[in-house]
Amino acid sequence: MKFVRSTVGFAIAGMFVMSIWGDWAGAYGNLGGWFAAVAIIGPMWFMNHYIGLIDNPGDHAFVDMAWGIAWVGIMRDVFGVGGNSFDLGRLVSSLPTIGLLTVGAALAALAINAFNKIEAK
Amino acid sequence: MELGQIISTIVGGFLFPFLIATMWGRLVEAFGPIGGWMAAAFIVGTMWALNHGLGMVYQSGTAWIDMAWAAGTGLFLADVFAGKKINGSTVLAGILGGIIGGFFLSTFL
Repeated sequence: MKFVRSTVGFAIAGMFVMSIWGDWAGAYGNLGGWFAAVAIIGPMWFMNHYIGLIDNPGDHAFVDMAWGIAWVGIMRDVFGVGGNSFDLGRLVSSLPTIGLLTVGAALAALAINAFNKIEAK
Repeated sequence: MELGQIISTIVGGFLFPFLIATMWGRLVEAFGPIGGWMAAAFIVGTMWALNHGLGMVYQSGTAWIDMAWAAGTGLFLADVFAGKKINGSTVLAGILGGIIGGFFLSTFL
């Protein structure tokens, strides 16, 4: 049941981000995108992490709803929008960006822990 | 892909999880759930303007790679490096939720 609950939380958050956000950014530019964060990430964080739809026991590594949001964006384009059909090649073509972001994220993970240790002293 | 794009994508991927880990929890401690909305606006919204609005995160291919990828992996790895256990069930739920949500969006977008 926790697995189903988490899956639903990830899917809902991702669907709002990967549809409305781009639309508002297209219509209103960067301020539209900024407001999309308030209108989408605010309530989705409240549902997934404050109420806790996504299962995150404290002794396990935290899985942010961003994980599911990222996968919705990838899979939306793999399934294809605008009349395009299913093509896994789109994911393959984006692997370099995935790799670079993961490198940056891993460096951030090291920095977060290093700075936490300094703060704890 | 040029060297500049490689560097900017790594830096964009660094900044987002770093800001979340540093500020989000503290904002909620200070302001309650409203702190979560402040974090959504001033961390995610402002970070989005840089990473995607201005394009600090370079898109190498045709499947959209959101800065959310960096947030998800960065926060997760920070806990893993700190020695926490891996929650395989929730990690898998994120991928499955992504496949389901992505399919639903592809049916009408």
